[in-house]
Amino acid sequence: MASKLIQIASHEAENPIEVSLREAFEFLQAQLRPPFPLKIPTPPEYLNLNRAILYGIFCEPHLAKVHIKHLHGKITDGYSFFTNTLTKVVNDLYSKLVDLAKIQLIWVTTEMVCVSAIGIDGLLVALLRQTVSGDFSEGNLWLCSELVSLFWAKWDCLLEEEPLVLTSALYTFLRLLSDHYRLSSNSKLEVLKQKEIDFCVRMLRQQFHLCLKIGRDLVRILQDLAHVPEFQAIWKDLLLNPGEFKTKEFHDISQLYLSRTSNRYLLLRITPEMEIQLRFLLTHVKFGSQKRYQAWFARKFLCLPEREALVIDIVRFICCSHHPPNEIIQSAIIPRWAVIGWLLKSCRKNYVEGNAKLALFYDWLFFDERLDSIMNIEPAILLMVHSIPKYIDMTHTLLEFLFLLMDNYDVERKDKIKHGVLSAFCMLVRKGVVHSFDSLINCDALSPYLKQRLGGLFICMNASVSKELQPAQAVHSLNLPKTSSVETQNNITGKLRISRAMKDLSPCP
Amino acid sequence: MVEMISLKDIVPAAQNNINAQFILLDKGRLMFEGQHKTCLALVADNTAAVHFQLWGDECDAFEPGDIIRLANGIFSFQRNSLVLRAGKRGKAEKVGEFTMAFVETPNMSEIRWVPDPNNSKKYVQEAVISPHSRIFPPVL
Repeated sequence: MASKLIQIASHEAENPIEVSLREAFEFLQAQLRPPFPLKIPTPPEYLNLNRAILYGIFCEPHLAKVHIKHLHGKITDGYSFFTNTLTKVVNDLYSKLVDLAKIQLIWVTTEMVCVSAIGIDGLLVALLRQTVSGDFSEGNLWLCSELVSLFWAKWDCLLEEEPLVLTSALYTFLRLLSDHYRLSSNSKLEVLKQKEIDFCVRMLRQQFHLCLKIGRDLVRILQDLAHVPEFQAIWKDLLLNPGEFKTKEFHDISQLYLSRTSNRYLLLRITPEMEIQLRFLLTHVKFGSQKRYQAWFARKFLCLPEREALVIDIVRFICCSHHPPNEIIQSAIIPRWAVIGWLLKSCRKNYVEGNAKLALFYDWLFFDERLDSIMNIEPAILLMVHSIPKYIDMTHTLLEFLFLLMDNYDVERKDKIKHGVLSAFCMLVRKGVVHSFDSLINCDALSPYLKQRLGGLFICMNASVSKELQPAQAVHSLNLPKTSSVETQNNITGKLRISRAMKDLSPCP
Repeated sequence: MVEMISLKDIVPAAQNNINAQFILLDKGRLMFEGQHKTCLALVADNTAAVHFQLWGDECDAFEPGDIIRLANGIFSFQRNSLVLRAGKRGKAEKVGEFTMAFVETPNMSEIRWVPDPNNSKKYVQEAVISPHSRIFPPVL
C-alpha cells in the first residue's frame, strides 16, 4: 500500500502534478515489480514510467531501491525528464510533501547527483530555495542540515560536473548562517552551524576563483559573519592578504565590489511562492489597493519576529531581480519603492532595518554605469523623494544611512565608494528618474547637516561630470600598494563601526 | 468545461447554478445556526464583490487571501440578506492563494433587487444600497 505524497487540507482542490504522478503509478503499478518487462516503451509510455517510478520512490520508501534500479535500467534521456519532474515537485509542492516524501526526496536527489543527471543543478537550486531565512522551525533546520551534508558528501562530484551550483550553495549557507548565529544555541543547532561553517570555509579557502563569480553580494553577506571566529581570518585576508586565496586574478576586494551579482544568487533566498506573490503584487495590484495583499503576504511569510530577517532578502530581490517594463512603470500599479517603504517600516529589529537599507543602497556604493543597471538604484531615490511630503523620517533615515555608508563602509576605499554614489546620482538625473535633486536640497524639513552633505556631493557631481572618471580601468590595473597594518586596522574598525552604527540607527516610527 | 460566471453577472435565484472563482478578502465572526457553524465572508473577483456564507468546516478551511472555486453555488436570500453560498448541492474548493485581482465595488449583496415586471421569476437590479460592503468596509 503506497502512502500519501502530499497533505491536502479539507476543501483544498487536488494538485495537478500530484494527480499526474499518482495516476501514472496506479496505471503502471503491476509493471513496477520485478521481473520488469523487457519491452522498450514508446515515448509517452517512457514519460509515464518515469512518473510512476518517481511516485513509487516517494510513496513506497521500502521499495525505493527496487524502483531506482528499475529507473537506471530504463533511462534513455540522461535522467532529464525525471530530474525536471523532481524540480517541479520541489518548486510547487515542497511545503505540502509529507515528511516521509521529503526524506525520499533528499535520497533520490543524492542518487541523481551520483549519476550526473541532466538538470541536477536546477534540482539542487530548487532545494536550496526552499530553505528560508529567519525560519527556525524544525522542518526548515532539517532541510538546511540535509542539504549542507549532501553538498559536503558530493563535493568532488559536484566540483567536477556542476561547479557553479557550489557557489549557489555557498551564498545560501552564508546567508543562513548569519541567521543561525542569532538564535540562542542548542546542541542540534550547534551541529548544523558547524556543518555550514565547514562547507563555507572550504569553498572560500579552496575554491575562491569560483566564489568570485558571486560578485559584490558575497561581501555583503560575509560582512554579517565578520564576528564569527571562523570567518574572521577570511575577512582579514580579503582586506589585507588577497594572495592567501591563491587565485591569480584576485588582487583586491574592490574587484568583488565592482562586479555585479547575478540574479541567480538573489533569487536563491526567495522561495518560488514568495517570488510569485511579490511579482503579482508588483505587476497587477494598483497603488492604493495593496493593503490587503500586504497583510496576506506578511501573515504568511513575516508573521514570527525572527522571520523579519527575510525583509533583507526581499529588498535585494526587488531592487535587483524584479525590473518592471515601462508599461508597468507608467501605469497605476504599485511601484517598487512603495513596497520597499512598507517593508522597511515593518522592521522592528534595528539590525534587520540596517541590513535592509544596506541591501537597498548596495549597488549605489559601487555603481558603474557601464556594468550596473539603473533599475537597481531607482527604488532608493524614489523612496527618498516620494517620502518627503508625508514620511520625511523615511527620507531622513535613508539619506543619513547613505552618508554613513560613504564615510564608513570601507574607509580605505572611500574614494571608490564616493565615486560610485556620485555616478549613481548622475545617472538618475541623466536618465530622468528624477529631474533634479532640488526637492531634496530645498526641503525645509531636512536637517541642515544632510542638506550640507548633499550640497557638497552635488558640487563634486558637477565637477566629475566634466572630468569623466573611469573606475573600470582602475580595476583592471589594480595593483594597489600594500597597506600598512595601521591602515588596515582602521579599515576593520571602520567596518565594525558601521555595524554598530546600523544598530544605533533609530527604527522608523 | 463548466461555464464560469463573473460576479457582476450573478442574479438572485432559487437555483444552484453559479460556477465562479473569487478571492476571499475578509471573514466575519463565527456564528452558530443550531449545531452548524456559519461565518459571513467578503469575496470578490475583478468585476464585483459579494457576501459569501461559509458553512460548517468551510469556516475554518478558508482564510483571507485564498482563491476559491465555487461549483453549483446559489445566490439567494438568507434571513433577509443576500448571500452567495455553496449550499447542499454545491462545492467550494481552495485552488490557490493571493494571485488574483479584485474590486470591492459593486457589491452584489448591497444591491436592491426586485422581480422583473416582464418575468416574475427573475430578479432585476433596482438600486444600489451601498457601493461597497457595509459589513466589511474597504481597507485603505
